[in-house]
Amino acid sequence: MSNAHLDSAVLATLQDVMESEYPVLLDTFLADSEERVRLLKQACQAAEADMLRQAAHSFKGSCSNMGATLLAELCRELEDLARREQLAQAPVLIESIEREFAIIGILFRAERQRLG
Amino acid sequence: MTITSQLSADGRELTIAISGRFDFNAHQAFRDAYQRQGASPQRYVVDLQGATYLDSSALGMLLLLRDHAGGDEADIRLLNCNVDVRKVLSVSNFEQLFVIA
Amino acid sequence: MPKRLTILIAEDSPVDRMLLSTIVARQGHRVLTAADGMQAVALFEQERPQLVLMDALMPVMDGFEAARRIKQLAGDELVPIIFLTSLTENQALVGCLEAGGDDFIAKPYNPIILEAKIQAMHRLRRLQATVLAQRDLIARRNQQLLDEHRAAKAIFDKVAHAGCLNAPNIRYRQSPRALFNGDLLLAAQAPAGQMFVLLGDFTGHGLPAAIGAMPLAETFYGMAAKGHSSTDILREMNAKLKQILPVEMFCCATLLDINPLQGTLRVWNGGLPDGYLIGANGQRTPLGSRHLPLGILSAAAFDDEFEHFPLAVGDRLLLLSDGVIESRNTHDELFGERRLLALLDANSDPARLFDEIEQALLAFHGQVQDDLSLIEVSLDETLAGAPLSVPLVAHRSRPIDWSAHFELRAESLRNGNPLPLLLQLLLQVNPLRPRAGAIYTVLGELYANALEHGVLGLDSALKCDAEGFQRYYELRRERLQALAEGHIRLELSIKTHDGGGCLRIAISDSGAGFDVAHALQLQRCDQCLSGRGLHLVRQLTDGFDWQADGRGLGVEFGWAAEA
Repeated sequence: MSNAHLDSAVLATLQDVMESEYPVLLDTFLADSEERVRLLKQACQAAEADMLRQAAHSFKGSCSNMGATLLAELCRELEDLARREQLAQAPVLIESIEREFAIIGILFRAERQRLG
Repeated sequence: MTITSQLSADGRELTIAISGRFDFNAHQAFRDAYQRQGASPQRYVVDLQGATYLDSSALGMLLLLRDHAGGDEADIRLLNCNVDVRKVLSVSNFEQLFVIA
Repeated sequence: MPKRLTILIAEDSPVDRMLLSTIVARQGHRVLTAADGMQAVALFEQERPQLVLMDALMPVMDGFEAARRIKQLAGDELVPIIFLTSLTENQALVGCLEAGGDDFIAKPYNPIILEAKIQAMHRLRRLQATVLAQRDLIARRNQQLLDEHRAAKAIFDKVAHAGCLNAPNIRYRQSPRALFNGDLLLAAQAPAGQMFVLLGDFTGHGLPAAIGAMPLAETFYGMAAKGHSSTDILREMNAKLKQILPVEMFCCATLLDINPLQGTLRVWNGGLPDGYLIGANGQRTPLGSRHLPLGILSAAAFDDEFEHFPLAVGDRLLLLSDGVIESRNTHDELFGERRLLALLDANSDPARLFDEIEQALLAFHGQVQDDLSLIEVSLDETLAGAPLSVPLVAHRSRPIDWSAHFELRAESLRNGNPLPLLLQLLLQVNPLRPRAGAIYTVLGELYANALEHGVLGLDSALKCDAEGFQRYYELRRERLQALAEGHIRLELSIKTHDGGGCLRIAISDSGAGFDVAHALQLQRCDQCLSGRGLHLVRQLTDGFDWQADGRGLGVEFGWAAEA
């Protein structure tokens, strides 16, 4: 299941490490990430550049751990924008992140069903 | 500090060359230099050309060599002493025990 | 071999926390988790984990602050902190290190690398623990050593006491640790009024040097108190050291024999830097090393030749260990002989010299050094003061009536010194004990007079200048060496009576005799070099007479009966 969205090697390692806990990890990621996307939007609306940067940074870390390559890259761009305080372009980028997260959600749920 | 030793072709003279600081740290190496297995030289030369410094424990080591080489009968020459080394030897009047050149 | 550790994971993201704790737990470690820095610090205090995996950016308290607090709590113990980071900017990574971080690991986590880092940090931890344990051990041992040194020094002081180092005419600088640096400083007042001073410097440091000092001090003080000559003391010290020291050990030493009564200084220096005789006018005579150090040559080969110098009130003697010249400051510069000589040259008031040297050393090093010794003896009037007295023994005095005759002939005059023996004999007589010093001084003067002017025929007029002074003692040595005939007779007689008692000492010699009345006349105006010989004898005794031919003198010491 390798594509631009997910790194299959990372997922294989995760499955290996987590064993029976692997589905729980996927669920935890999905639940936690919804909260993080909400935080990104909130920080953007409040024009809190620093809060936005931190939230993007933290989300980026989790995404990279979960092999969500493209999502991690989008978070990194958002973190950069926030550091440079160019908040005008942030809403567009956050929309892209939401779209990409929707795709990851579909892929992870499929992964869960595959494992039964 | 390095210590090297060389036995003459006829086996009668042992030359011990010392460079760097000749002090307590040289103790074992200096002993090893004259306690060579199988050699029984009649004369000894201590070449101090490269010796930059000599302390009282070095004087003690020279006394040990003298004892090893026969005490009052020992034939030991100290060669190529620089000014500082010569000064230490002369304050202690070691020229009474060794040929210093 | 991997070891099971307790590891604290501080990470606010539940996904990362779950992932990391699973990885770490699977590797066999016990895991504690915290969701922010504050929780992490609290958990650390409570559980004392051995290693921390710390996210940098966390709510409530960030990883930097938490790392700082944990390092502070850990104190000397190494608790490695590995920062979990996707930070890429250099500045942020530097921040992690500054906060006390020991390593980083980047997301996404690789379990193999993570375990390798944990084990590497654990090795570092063990290394640190070993270093700390060794540091503490060394500190304990060092403390032990210092305690032992203190105790050993106390014993040494009991056995060897301080002699007369505290006399008002002596100043010295020597740390209590000097004994364990091989330095030894001894001073004794001899019964006949000389002062002996010995500065010694053993090769090596620590216990061996200190142990060698013990018999040296015992010999020095024991023989000085019994009235032995400086030559005999020196020979005995050399023989003793030769006997007990291993071949490679020896003792550089200077022995001073200061005789204020005769106005002479005898010096023997084997291996120590120049000492100095400094006149009241600032004139300086070096007292250089002329001999091998003590403990090297056998008694037969040992050279006991002293150098002789005239002494006058106001002169000073300065001795220093090579620690003074060879000391180095924090910039590794040598104090050196040149600096010392410059100090001596610059001095305008000899009375200030000792202070000036001390100040210069302190300025050079910035702190007091504990491996150098310095002594100054000044010749003031007190030094020529009252001769010693020996405490009375408890038994009652009984009537006494005896006399003893001695005749010393050439061989004995050359090699022997009968005075210590005679003094021991006379000290058996209780009423004489308070005047032991005076009796010994008089015996010494009479004996020296008979030997030098009588038997050896030396003319004290030679001693009118410093050169003649040296010449006088060279001649003395030569003639004594060549002496084939000649004698000195001594007669001691003691008789008690109802009112007290009297000791009479008569001395005569084989020389040509001299005009005693004339000599007394001459010496009265001779202030500088040859001392106060016969005048002193007359002052110290209760009766003084001489034979008309000048070959014999007699003196008396009387005492009154006990009340």
